Amino acid sequence: MPANDTRPLLSIAGLSASYGTPRGPASALAQIDLELGKGENLGLIGESGCGKSTLLKTVMGVMPGNARIDAGHIAFQGRDLVSASPEQRRAVRWAGISMVTQSALNALNPVLRVGDQIAEAILAHRQVSRAEAWRRTQELLAMVGVAPERARDYPHQFSGGMRQRAIIAMALALEPPLVLADEPTTALDVVVQDQIFRSLRELQQRLGFSLLLVTHDLALVIENCERVAVMYAGQIVETGPTRDVIRRPAHPYTLGLKNALPRLGSRDEPIAIPGGPPDLVDPPPGCRFAARCPFALPLCRSEPPQLATVAPGRRARCHRAAEIDALAPLAALPQTWDALREGPG
Amino acid sequence: MVGYLLHRFWHMVLTLFAMATLMFFLFRLLPGDPTATVISPSLYPKAQEAMRQQFGLDRPLFEQYLLYLRNLCVLDFGFSFQTNRPVFEMIQGRLLNTILLILPSMLAAYLLGAIIGAVAAWRRGGTTEVGLVFTATALQSAPLFWLGMLAILLFSIKLDLFPIGHIVTPGAFPEQDWRMYLSADFLHHLALPFLVNTLYQLCFPLLLMRSTMLSTIGEDYIELARMKGLSERRVLFGHAARNALLPLATTLPMILGWAVAGSVVIETVFSWPGLGLLMIEAISRADYPVAQAAFLLIAVLTVLGTFIADLLYGLLDPRIVYA
Repeated sequence: MPANDTRPLLSIAGLSASYGTPRGPASALAQIDLELGKGENLGLIGESGCGKSTLLKTVMGVMPGNARIDAGHIAFQGRDLVSASPEQRRAVRWAGISMVTQSALNALNPVLRVGDQIAEAILAHRQVSRAEAWRRTQELLAMVGVAPERARDYPHQFSGGMRQRAIIAMALALEPPLVLADEPTTALDVVVQDQIFRSLRELQQRLGFSLLLVTHDLALVIENCERVAVMYAGQIVETGPTRDVIRRPAHPYTLGLKNALPRLGSRDEPIAIPGGPPDLVDPPPGCRFAARCPFALPLCRSEPPQLATVAPGRRARCHRAAEIDALAPLAALPQTWDALREGPG
Repeated sequence: MVGYLLHRFWHMVLTLFAMATLMFFLFRLLPGDPTATVISPSLYPKAQEAMRQQFGLDRPLFEQYLLYLRNLCVLDFGFSFQTNRPVFEMIQGRLLNTILLILPSMLAAYLLGAIIGAVAAWRRGGTTEVGLVFTATALQSAPLFWLGMLAILLFSIKLDLFPIGHIVTPGAFPEQDWRMYLSADFLHHLALPFLVNTLYQLCFPLLLMRSTMLSTIGEDYIELARMKGLSERRVLFGHAARNALLPLATTLPMILGWAVAGSVVIETVFSWPGLGLLMIEAISRADYPVAQAAFLLIAVLTVLGTFIADLLYGLLDPRIVYA
């Protein structure tokens, strides 16, 4: 890729994917549009089951057997991955796009040495000797703050934080331009979580990779990402610069998420969004959030909204996005959401 | 590690002691007088008495038991009622024949079973998998003697490819020494029982490997390995199979001991002069010293196998530490 290339590093357009279920296909991803520039950090946020992990797996090309891509493109460095051959995809994996997975013990193979698991990623993509790969592995471990001699250890000999560091070292082994991170610190305590993110940011400054951070922790996105995309029920409902989105959400769901965030110094109880996500096998005909939205109009239940530009660099999928400034004060009141709890109407 | 070894070894000795004791009393509980086949009731009472003394059967049971244990320690299993040859000597040759048939066959069965089972799991839901699982289940459920007889009928009698039994052509090696085992004639006789036994025995490792693989494939590290851009082959054998192999590898030594005992069927069908056939002959002729020694040997092999399995587990799974 030439240095003056202005194309985004990763560009997802109109991506739809579904899982085959006994009741029919479940629409796990619908019309996903997402762009990520070089060196940029994008936070992808949403509740469990909203399709965050499915999106990452689709980008990595490791969807489970019952999943399929129905439409859309994933362009990485200008090349489409959806139509690429398995061989071309494998070459992009890790060397182009790598992934920091959750730190649970399971992400590392328990019977192989940690160092071997990092070295094999290098050996799969580079023409280097085993000794060279091993030397590089030790460098990587040192870089993420793990003593190089620990490369000979097995995963169960590592602490949770060290395992997470080892996974980061693995993700950076080939210095990929794009790193995906799937709830990388969920299983760790806050202190370790903070250390991990601090070193991740340092490494990013040094190596210049882009980061797509998937999490349900809004605070992590605020600290680490300049842009955020909010996902709900397989759709992107809002994107924009993190500060703007958090300060002035353009979608009722984001307003609800913000309410659920406990604030330091505030005596108010966080307000939860009542109800649960819709059935993806038979999604509602209109807006997927309508059933849980205190501001839903009849139009919202019949007509699906499009992801439309609401301000420069900001997009939202809501029929009432234009009125959002009037709705926002209402959304901060618990009564607004309580009304929903008592039944629609 | 050394402490663990000693500890396990001590347990092994205790188990074997219990086995030997059980065996001793079990044989004495058998209905009928086993000595009747040797000490004919038609002999003069004095001669009968003399023979009883010679075998030590006139002493109290407990004394007999101590004598039996002492003899076991020096590998003295007594003399066969039938041939009057030392039991140890009889078993030695037969054990070698059994091992030559069973050991390579079991190793081949486990190796093939593991590979085919891994592939079956990888092709989950496909016709390959369904076909393999069906065939393996059917084969495993079929009686081994029946499979052996079918094989003899087809390959030996109809197609005339293999001899119908025995270890070498009768009379080809009158001395019955080591040269027999190096001959093409021996391999020719070995082939059919080897193939039938391997085919039958590979079903268990195949099905076990497939089911452990299926649970391994869902693990996060398999997905991560695939995301790393490793080839499918490397993911399958380097990551998934490596883990799924653990339960399989540990059943192997245990099953080996059991397989030696299970050689009764295959050896009978193919008239293979091994330990199994010896056992059958000994029981049908009430040759108690031989039967007792053969049973004891199987117990030793099984206990030894379990011991090896324990050590193997630690070798394959770094999470297991001996302390």
